[in-house]
Amino acid sequence: MLGKALRVASLADVPGRLRIACFVALGLVAGLGMYTIRVSEAASYLSDDPETCINCHIMVPEYASWQHSSHARAATCNDCHVPHTSAFAKYYFKAKDGSRHSALFTLRRERQVIFAIPESRKVIQDNCVRCHSNVFETPQVHTRQDRACIDCHREVPHGRQHSLSATPNAAVPPLGASVLPFVERNRTKGDER
Amino acid sequence: MSERKSGESRKGLVLGWVVLGGSAVVFAALGLLAGSIIERRAERSVNRVQMITPIGDWETDNEKWAINFPREYNSWERTRELAEATKYGGSEVKDYLAKDPRLVILFAGFGFSKEYNSPRGHYHSIKDVTSTARVSEKTPATCWTCKSPMVPKLMHDKGVAEFYKGKFKDHEGVMKDPIGCLDCHDPKTMALRISRPALKEAFARRGRDITKASHQEMRSLVCAQCHVSYYFRDKETNYLVFPWDDGFKADDFDKYYERTKFVEWVHPVSGTPMTKARHPDYEVWLQGTHAFRGVSCADCHMPYKSEGGVKFTDHQVRSPLYNIANSCQVCHRWSEDEVKQRVESIQDKNRELLDIAEDAMVRAHITLGDAVKLGATDAELAAPRNMLRRAHTYWDYIAAANGMGFHAPQESARVLAKAANLAQECRIATERIRTKYGAKSEAPMPDLSTKEKAAAFVKPFVEAQKAKQARAPQGRTASR
Repeated sequence: MLGKALRVASLADVPGRLRIACFVALGLVAGLGMYTIRVSEAASYLSDDPETCINCHIMVPEYASWQHSSHARAATCNDCHVPHTSAFAKYYFKAKDGSRHSALFTLRRERQVIFAIPESRKVIQDNCVRCHSNVFETPQVHTRQDRACIDCHREVPHGRQHSLSATPNAAVPPLGASVLPFVERNRTKGDER
Repeated sequence: MSERKSGESRKGLVLGWVVLGGSAVVFAALGLLAGSIIERRAERSVNRVQMITPIGDWETDNEKWAINFPREYNSWERTRELAEATKYGGSEVKDYLAKDPRLVILFAGFGFSKEYNSPRGHYHSIKDVTSTARVSEKTPATCWTCKSPMVPKLMHDKGVAEFYKGKFKDHEGVMKDPIGCLDCHDPKTMALRISRPALKEAFARRGRDITKASHQEMRSLVCAQCHVSYYFRDKETNYLVFPWDDGFKADDFDKYYERTKFVEWVHPVSGTPMTKARHPDYEVWLQGTHAFRGVSCADCHMPYKSEGGVKFTDHQVRSPLYNIANSCQVCHRWSEDEVKQRVESIQDKNRELLDIAEDAMVRAHITLGDAVKLGATDAELAAPRNMLRRAHTYWDYIAAANGMGFHAPQESARVLAKAANLAQECRIATERIRTKYGAKSEAPMPDLSTKEKAAAFVKPFVEAQKAKQARAPQGRTASR
């Protein structure tokens, strides 16, 4: 069984020249795949670093408004925007939400002014309660959750205006290099010359 | 054995081609994805457009600015578009006189009873001002003030007062660039700048130096160069003045016109000395909650927009109802439908209040006209005429403004209540005088269902007024 699988995978039955062509093609796919992983900074999506969220520019106003808020001292994007009930729930939600974002972004279907979708609102609300549990000791407040915290605390943490109007020309950290490190070094050296 | 081998090799061949074809497809898809990622990465590092070609100090040709600011220019250029009208405004042309024939009575003997259309976008300013029936041989050059960025240069060369003294016809054909870049921007720094003297002068009279205004204030003040109420000081100088010395409210305008005794025209039906408010958009906005919270004109009428990674101000100045997402929803986080319903419910109420005031004012004019016919003297009618003049000042403050009351809903309602009440007070006073002269019932109301019928009713009054003026030539500057 294993032998047969290996035989198929190694393309042993494919006649000579075609077999070489196949390996070349698979090699190209692997190479381009690795490049795509690098240029999309795919690995960063596993982290909690807020800079990951501005790999694309849509979230720049959200990043900038968060960065200037008091929440920036205590909470990252993920602290509020993904569930923390379990590691599985966290990465499942992240993968689902991230796929949605990247699909919309690639197809250029993103809105000019973005809103939190209902699933996201629920996660945000749970996370408000997760940290601010001391506020919810009074039972009346705790049970009255037909209104979310952010329905009244509207400016927490992204400010009074949202999306486009929030932070015109915000200065945010630049993206990492898309080329190999030694090429990037030469580029900056060129700038100095 | 050989059969088996040939079967094996055919299978191998198929597998080989499938792997090769599949790889090609995956390779192409990955290439597209990587290309898209690179493209969108580049968007994030795009800076604001740099000045490529310097712009001259008096560059009025908007296309010359386009090289440096293509996005701003392209959006400005779209003010030519005549989009389907919003419920009460919008970019499409509406004939106000046909929609509301009462206006023919209210503006009888004045330009606005000849033609009164809803405005079009900035792109059309030259064409619209030269084609309106309100412009004649006698029209002063002052009427050009807000229509072209070429005006500040003329004022600079000739002097402001000299420019106002000229005739409109003098500049026809010369003015070609419609309202655009130089009207609001410094061509070197792109900073917002006041180019029209009337606003600076009005601020100075109120003890404020307009050069000290903050950037956020300037995002409204550049609009306030034109979207304000004004009048021409007298028939000799035609000097442009904003009636702001007593304040920005309708009551302050009333006080101002009472104090200065300014008369714009005499109403041919009722004999009332009238004044005309012009689109006090800035003044009405000042009374509303958006102004209170520091939201500028540009925040709603020129919202931020993004193209790729570049964020810029949308220069297609228009009703926010055309782009609720970018203008309203950045603060009002409800659905577009809900936002639109809120706006229209406010405007519906304002329209109803305008109707109530207009009905009362039309009846007051006609009742006054009938009192004159019965033999009432000017001395007797002076007090009710003054009430009607004041009613008109209040009503016009809201009616002439764009926004249908939305810019300050409660203030609009208050002002229209005052207008309706003053008109009714005028009618009561006039009816009492009519009774003295033997009237047995209320003054009869003509059929005013179309603008033609309204114009036919007004015509004999206008002719009688002209004949009277010819007999006693004292100019149009009637006193009160």
